[in-house]
Amino acid sequence: MPENMEKVYQERLERYKTANRNEKPDRVPLRPFAAEFTSKYAGYTAQEVTHEYEKAFEAVRRCAKDFQWDATVVNMIYVWSGLVDHFGQKYYKVPGIELDPNVGFQYFEPADEQGAFMKEDEYDALIESPTEFLANVWMPRISKYVVGPQDSNTYRNNMAWLKGGLSLMAYGGAVGAANEKLKTECGTVSCVSGPIKAPFDILADKLRGFRQVSMDVYRQPDKVQKACEALMPYLYMNAKVAADPTKQVPVSVWLHRGTMFSKDMYERFFWPTLKEIIIKLWEEDDIQTIWYAEGNWDKWLQYTKELPEKSIIYHSDKGDIFEVHKQVGDKFAISGGVPNDLLAFGTPEEVKEVCKKLIQTVGKDGGYLMDAQAIIQSDAKAENMKAMTEATLEYGEY
Amino acid sequence: MSNNDIYEALVNLEEKKVKQLVSQSLEKGMAPEEIMEQLQKALIEIGDRFEREECYVPDLIYSGAIMKDAVELLGPKIKEKGAEAKGKVVVGTVYGDIHDIGKDLVVMLLQNAGFDVVDLGVDVKPEKFVEAIKESGAKVVGMSCLLTISFDAISKTVKAIEDAGIRDQVSIMIGGAPVTELVKDKTGCDYYGKDAIHGLRFVSEAYS
Repeated sequence: MPENMEKVYQERLERYKTANRNEKPDRVPLRPFAAEFTSKYAGYTAQEVTHEYEKAFEAVRRCAKDFQWDATVVNMIYVWSGLVDHFGQKYYKVPGIELDPNVGFQYFEPADEQGAFMKEDEYDALIESPTEFLANVWMPRISKYVVGPQDSNTYRNNMAWLKGGLSLMAYGGAVGAANEKLKTECGTVSCVSGPIKAPFDILADKLRGFRQVSMDVYRQPDKVQKACEALMPYLYMNAKVAADPTKQVPVSVWLHRGTMFSKDMYERFFWPTLKEIIIKLWEEDDIQTIWYAEGNWDKWLQYTKELPEKSIIYHSDKGDIFEVHKQVGDKFAISGGVPNDLLAFGTPEEVKEVCKKLIQTVGKDGGYLMDAQAIIQSDAKAENMKAMTEATLEYGEY
Repeated sequence: MSNNDIYEALVNLEEKKVKQLVSQSLEKGMAPEEIMEQLQKALIEIGDRFEREECYVPDLIYSGAIMKDAVELLGPKIKEKGAEAKGKVVVGTVYGDIHDIGKDLVVMLLQNAGFDVVDLGVDVKPEKFVEAIKESGAKVVGMSCLLTISFDAISKTVKAIEDAGIRDQVSIMIGGAPVTELVKDKTGCDYYGKDAIHGLRFVSEAYS
């Protein structure tokens, strides 16, 4: 790595780490979570970057260079169609196959009990052994090829496990190399390591589906609670083993369904197991978590406050980031706040004005990272992304 | 059994009790229309509670499921009668977006309130919206999305409706997580519903 790039990288890493710890760095770091914006900017279709991950990595590098990002996600187009194809996964819809080549991959959630990947009477099996349930029951349902142990083995089943496993290894290796290139070619920090989901979200997103869970919480609440408790240790371990071994960059939790439930249900199903995972990661493993609060999580700030100081970086999406700052700014760093509708429809001047306000209020004493509210897709205009960078460089120095 | 029992049971999301009371009421000769009226009133109350943040999306979904089973018990006549009552609405998730939970919730609320919904499903091309508006003569079209990439598809659908010369005949409402007043204004829509209940209110006003 050229000496000057190493220096840039070290400065950015320090800036990123300092802000994450809710302290005052030399300047507000730019840390966008950018998805299809990068591919559009680099001149690729969503189809190309989903099928060829090297193009996705390259698109991120191009943006990181041109927009001077301090830290970013090495690839938000995290669904590689090769892996989807090898496992025969049914729950991802891929651009160029099931979707228009210009829109990003999407998760498909079965609409009813008949299509659900876990049935209403299978809670006991999940609670008894989550791993066996996933391998023997869930996998055959979400895959076109995998068969359960009760069925005769097939050639396609063997190949799905073999090729799926090899694909995972191939992609994992490529991500490692891409992180290194992001560092050496752009001086940009790969900003996030392992992922966490709240146990309840795993149940609501990937197993039962939101519509089914909405009825389960009334029809069989004890089992829902026990399922969350049973999933908890696995999700903790999943984050721990995928986390940055040098503990410099955080893991992230993608918060989904918790805002849609009542206080009693949040308290019972969502919060206790997620809280335990985040506290364990922080207190036992020294790992921070990006609290990526998709939607508006302001009503649960009283609970989030219970987490240990600095254990999370609070990312505000549709919530009132200024209120978030008032309530938890003394405990946690905060990121986000630039409205996606403004990035799509506003002018560079309007974007700069919003960024300036964020820096001067939420970022007043440090502990703020510049980013959009939600993931940046192809609707964002390049000139507005440039304005975000300019405002951060112009107003973000301490 | 008082006249309000079915209403109370549904408002309190007592699934088994609703089924039991509806069956008993039918056996005792209560008119299906009268039962339907109680059920619909209960859903309106649940909608009001949702607006006051006294209940949440799962309650809407669960009450919808309870309602569906209850309407089954009332038999086919009542379903036909309910559908012809209030007017037609075209609903779909815009092109490029396959998310359906929000859209389905709007469809369910509209149907339970007695509207005839043309549900186009997900990933709906602009020309499909145009065709459905023309065929149904709906006065309202609802577009749903979950992704910010869908802003472009919303604009294109509005343009297709304009190009087809039917913009004046139809009010366009949009909803979904990334939608805001700014998105509504920039894409040329008439109404942004911040949740499914607001969508229902807008349609009800359009047909009032």
